[in-house]
Amino acid sequence: MAAPHPLLEIESLNIGFASYGQTTQVLHDVHLKVEAGQRAAVIGESGSGKSVTMKAVIGTLPHPAARVLGGSIRFDGQELLSLSRRERERLKGTDISIVHQDPLTSFNPVFTIGEHLDDVLKFADRRLGTSSDARSRRTRIEATLRQAQLKEPERVLRSYPFQLSGGMRQRVLIAMALMHRPKLLIADEPGTALDVTTQDEILRLLNQLVSEEQLTLLMVTHNLAVVRQTSDYVYVMQSGRIVEHGPVREIFTAPRMPYTQRLLEAIPPLYGPKVQHRQAHSETVVITANDVVKRFEAPRRFLEPAKAPVLAVRNASLSICKGDVFGIAGESGSGKSTIARMIVGLMPLSGGTIEIDGRSIADWRKDPAFRRRIQIVYQNPASSLNPRRTVAETLAVPLAFAGAVPKDKRAERIRELLALVELPANFASRYPHQLSGGQKQRVAIARALAVDPEIVVLDEPTSSLDVSVQKTVIDLLLGLRDRLGLTYLFISHDLSLMRNFCNRIAVMFRGEICEQGPTDTVFDDPQHPYTRALIASIPVLTDAEEQAKPQVTLEERRAVLASTIQ
Amino acid sequence: MSVETETLSPAEELSNFGRARRRLLSNPAAIIGIVIVVSIVLAAILAPYIAPYPNHAGSFVDFRHRHNAPSLEHLLGTDNVGRDILSRILFGYRVSLLLVVGVLGVAVPAGVLFGLLAGYFGGIVETGIMWLTNVMLAVPPLVMALAITAVLTPDLIHSMIAITVLWWTWHCRLVYRVVKSVVAEDFVEAARVAGASHLHILFREILPNCAAAISVKTTLDAGFVILFGASLSFLGLGVQPPTPDLGTMVAAGAQFLPEMWWEAVMPGFAVLYAILGFNLLGDGLRDMLDVEI
Repeated sequence: MAAPHPLLEIESLNIGFASYGQTTQVLHDVHLKVEAGQRAAVIGESGSGKSVTMKAVIGTLPHPAARVLGGSIRFDGQELLSLSRRERERLKGTDISIVHQDPLTSFNPVFTIGEHLDDVLKFADRRLGTSSDARSRRTRIEATLRQAQLKEPERVLRSYPFQLSGGMRQRVLIAMALMHRPKLLIADEPGTALDVTTQDEILRLLNQLVSEEQLTLLMVTHNLAVVRQTSDYVYVMQSGRIVEHGPVREIFTAPRMPYTQRLLEAIPPLYGPKVQHRQAHSETVVITANDVVKRFEAPRRFLEPAKAPVLAVRNASLSICKGDVFGIAGESGSGKSTIARMIVGLMPLSGGTIEIDGRSIADWRKDPAFRRRIQIVYQNPASSLNPRRTVAETLAVPLAFAGAVPKDKRAERIRELLALVELPANFASRYPHQLSGGQKQRVAIARALAVDPEIVVLDEPTSSLDVSVQKTVIDLLLGLRDRLGLTYLFISHDLSLMRNFCNRIAVMFRGEICEQGPTDTVFDDPQHPYTRALIASIPVLTDAEEQAKPQVTLEERRAVLASTIQ
Repeated sequence: MSVETETLSPAEELSNFGRARRRLLSNPAAIIGIVIVVSIVLAAILAPYIAPYPNHAGSFVDFRHRHNAPSLEHLLGTDNVGRDILSRILFGYRVSLLLVVGVLGVAVPAGVLFGLLAGYFGGIVETGIMWLTNVMLAVPPLVMALAITAVLTPDLIHSMIAITVLWWTWHCRLVYRVVKSVVAEDFVEAARVAGASHLHILFREILPNCAAAISVKTTLDAGFVILFGASLSFLGLGVQPPTPDLGTMVAAGAQFLPEMWWEAVMPGFAVLYAILGFNLLGDGLRDMLDVEI
């Protein structure tokens, strides 16, 4: 049956946000059309207006700050913007459903999953004017959970949100959205907050559900590779405008707009001719770790029996040469950040040794001279820069303490440092909130470089940034390494980035280094089943790369992943 | 120079202070709070010049005009020895504000210091300080103050000491909680990596991030210190006559209720006015600085 009109049609939508009496327009003439049964995607970086567009469709724009300045949103031929609040509510969860990004904050922690799902169903029924009894709702809930491939639905229903893993919570969210057989399913960055292997499972599930249930999917994401996996048609958004749209294949192979081209180029390739191969610079070993162990003792609570300690790192050994970009890859909780912190001397070891330039750091790590040898750049510059201190004040700290630079020379050095990270000198007097994410991270890099260290530990330095900004920061880091002769220890979960940035790589899995070697060797011929599963889960941009990835069977995945697959 | 093309919204470009001030001035309740607090401070400072009968602040006696109801001559009436109540309230605010400055001037820095130490160093320091504050908080404040003032002679200084001993624990707990969350931020560890001393980290990195919470709490406290001081002198444990004090005046006037209602009600309203002012200002500051207390 061919529908006479598209399922969702947005025309010249203009939306503004009012604050302190002035209105800032955030959406400019947004056009968007989703046919029934289509898989469409809206892609854009943070602040591009993709979330605002979705909120306008569902009707959850912040009131009264957001104002619709014009345009129309038609769902199944019906104009949504002129509907009364009550009629609008009726569409939610029944005709249009959304899967939220953050699977933890989407739940109320004091209710069980069963209560959440039952409420959704009960009130959706009531909005539709039908009533239902608890038992029939229960049957429907269990059926939907099974559809979302959750094993043991009874146990899930009894659980509180915190008792489920991130992947399971995301599945429950998907089940919740599917409960009423919506016509349109909006997925807002599903799985983005999860590990790449879990994200891969979630995307597979979504794809499967869409084809089985003949749903219409509207995907909102910043990840182009995810778009390729889950969509047929894509809209590219930039600063509140749709800058380009077309079938996914067309946009990916021949993007017309420079913005789309930049976006595509910024994504590091996993395989193929575009991969940057990094070579080792020298054979001189600067960092060696031997059988490093880190045990975290559970804190003793009053009148409670002692708990078993957690082994965060088990017998990890590695050696890093001068000029290396050494990558430690792993998912959350794999122990990669713990190793980094031990190497920087922020944490004592529970066993084993770490030597820098052949000298054990156990007694050295409190010495200012050690601080001048090794520095760290943190993941999130919003947290690693003190909001109450200006850039100059922040940069003065390492100069005054570890560097022992006299007061009158500090201003000069701060200017040098800002120039080094390609920031204008007048940024010295700015506070962190006056800087963008990329600029903040540059300041954090400048702070690490202030005392001329030889080794810099980079703890996911780009994971909080947009891809296009990520690229400029990575280019800066590479330039600095060549100019200053630095050695990097790069901690990340982003394997496609590491593929192009590191010359050696170690993969961590549940506290152990399960595989390490030159980057090319690890990617071309991964040995450990976990490495294979991990690389196979990475979303990629082209079919050629998809085929170059190691082929992993379901059994292999199950063996190494804390899987929620039934 | 290549700087990212990310742009900042106008709201972000506006400085923190500018945004905060707008938030404060668009809050009518906060403005009322400011007006009240300023009026009280002015009244206390200018009492000898604006009080209609400045000499009534002392041991003045005029039995011809005792128990006069409010009139044009005595706007808020007179007390049992014929002193003008308005004049005595204006002078009474001097005692109240002295109490506020004395108590908070010691209790806040002490509480902040202990809270910083407990939150930053953890371990035995944390256990020791937090046990002490929890035990102190478990003692009913009025009972504690009664015990202290009963041992010492009742006067302004001693009630100040009694209230201070009780009060620092609240600030200690508040700062402790804020420090605990600030310490978890990466910038504290980053300062340690930069080789910074404990002193630098405590007072230059962490303390500025507690400033908002401390200033809101201190403002709200000012009202409660006035109330607590008035309660003590109501019980005869604070300022001694003839020094005019709001609590003592309420106690003296209460004997003549309900006929000579103004003698107790007027100083009572003066206490209420002060607390209202400090609370409105404190709430306004809290919204402006966006902190949770």
